[in-house]
Amino acid sequence: MGAADGSPPASAPAGPQAPPPPSRAAAASEPHAGAPAAPAGVPRGNRYLAAVLAWLVPGLGHVYLGRWLRGAAFCALVSAAAVVGVSLDGKLWRPVAGKPLSYLATPGAMGLGGGYFVLRTGLGYQGDVTAAGYEYGSAFLLTAGLMNVLLVLDAWDVSRGRKR
Amino acid sequence: MSHFLLMVLYAFLVSVFFALLWRSERRDRVRLFLQMFLGLVVGGLAVAWLMFPFPSGPPAPIP
Repeated sequence: MGAADGSPPASAPAGPQAPPPPSRAAAASEPHAGAPAAPAGVPRGNRYLAAVLAWLVPGLGHVYLGRWLRGAAFCALVSAAAVVGVSLDGKLWRPVAGKPLSYLATPGAMGLGGGYFVLRTGLGYQGDVTAAGYEYGSAFLLTAGLMNVLLVLDAWDVSRGRKR
Repeated sequence: MSHFLLMVLYAFLVSVFFALLWRSERRDRVRLFLQMFLGLVVGGLAVAWLMFPFPSGPPAPIP
């Protein structure tokens, strides 16, 4: 075996050796050096701007951070939930005196960000309690807002380097 | 749109959302999507059947 069948002998010296891995101290001193793919652990972008953009428009925070596909997919999902909710004449929550749960639901619905204020103040949307799909539409609208709140937190984590 | 189709649509949107949010590998995403989607739909049907013998009030008048 060995040289007889063409395989290198066990004691043969190795070819060009790979450079030694950088030490932990060197990696900590240059967190951005030589990282074209931006692995997890590397902060990117302005986290405050990413969070605000993510809240204003679903998925825009991820687009700002370079996650185009994820941003587009999240935008489509949250927008679809909101459109279904509006088409069913669901309730767009706002604080109502004497109804404590409305104070919990309103921040969730306001998670839609710009969409909430466009619907509420721009289009004067309120929902129709007599509509057949009122309860379902309310669930879709509230879920869309809560999903966008999670997207804000996710964009924050990505910008901090905690997540890819 | 029927109640069942709305429930399926809701389960689909939520399942895709969390599969994209919580998993990064394609295989893991598909697995989580299937788990959540089937859990929501089958769980919803199970709860509906459990509630069936206990109506919340008199039946609505037929127009």
